[in-house]
Amino acid sequence: MSDRNLRIAAILVTLAGIGVAGYLTWAHFADQSVICVQGGGCEKVQESSYSEIAGIPVAVLGLASYLTVLALLVWDAPVARLSAATLAIVGVLFGAYLVVVQLFVIDAVCVWCMANDLVIGPALAVLTLLRLRS
Amino acid sequence: MATRSGTGQPTSRRSIAIAIAVAAVAAVGLVAVALLLRDDGGSSTSAPAVDVSGIPQEGSLLGDPDANVTLIEYADMQCPFCAEYAEQMLPTLVNDYVRPGKVNADFRVVAILGDDSEKAARYVIAAGMQNLMWEFQQELFRNQGQEHSGWVTDEVLRETAAAVPGLDVDKLFADADGAQVTAQANENIQRFQEDGAQGTPTILIQIGDGDPYMLQVGLEPTALAAALDDALAG
Repeated sequence: MSDRNLRIAAILVTLAGIGVAGYLTWAHFADQSVICVQGGGCEKVQESSYSEIAGIPVAVLGLASYLTVLALLVWDAPVARLSAATLAIVGVLFGAYLVVVQLFVIDAVCVWCMANDLVIGPALAVLTLLRLRS
Repeated sequence: MATRSGTGQPTSRRSIAIAIAVAAVAAVGLVAVALLLRDDGGSSTSAPAVDVSGIPQEGSLLGDPDANVTLIEYADMQCPFCAEYAEQMLPTLVNDYVRPGKVNADFRVVAILGDDSEKAARYVIAAGMQNLMWEFQQELFRNQGQEHSGWVTDEVLRETAAAVPGLDVDKLFADADGAQVTAQANENIQRFQEDGAQGTPTILIQIGDGDPYMLQVGLEPTALAAALDDALAG
């Protein structure tokens, strides 16, 4: 895949991340139930003590991270590429922690969080890392 | 650091290794901060939010039926925010506005989150047929289980009902399967849609026979109080 296509793919994945994190952020501040699939536990996850860090909703951190990555992708200087990849890896690792928390601590699964932690975040990390080697 | 530009040579392995190391350290730090600063919330719903005994109750309506201002809540019994709303907002609502007769409160239970919601809603409405809906819904919120887990079992409902003084449990179970409850459940969801509600909890104020208007008060009792004061002032 060419660098141009990798960059476009990374931007599209980042926009998906912004969509998910933005929706969860909105749901948090609007005190609204999130749309959840049968068998899910979106609200239990969203309401758990793990959904905030020092009073800041994890969804907000995610949204801020995706917006930062988007800005770095647009900037596209060498340091921006490296920073985007670094941030994406942080996201993947923290996402892995959140997956463990959902499965083994909260004992509930938020499909939106899982989509982010298992699909969007890792995809972004792979794409941004591939760009460093292309 | 990086050695490439847009179409130049790849970033050096060393830079990538450093980036991964920095990311790993940052992630570990973030997890550590998350765990250290986690607020476990202490005791949550260990007791009913507020005592509604002695307050007139008819069906879903709590308080003086002739009060000019009605606070309407659409709630799903599986919705944790609804449980939180009950815990945090009810004391202000009941003690400062409903008990003195200034405002009455209409609890319109709806089932939008699935089968457990539907079953729970039927029993809440059935409790309303004994004019004990508010006690029952508070108790059921306290017993709220994980969304879509099948937590609304007959056993949970029976335990919940048994904790409400004066509630005829056998009648509750008989009524819950009845046509009257079905009709009320359908009416609630129809009004939910007509009032433009998108989720739960949705809070509205109705003054006299006027059209209800939606509130965006979050879970802040002072905001609710301010909205009710405005409504009472006309």
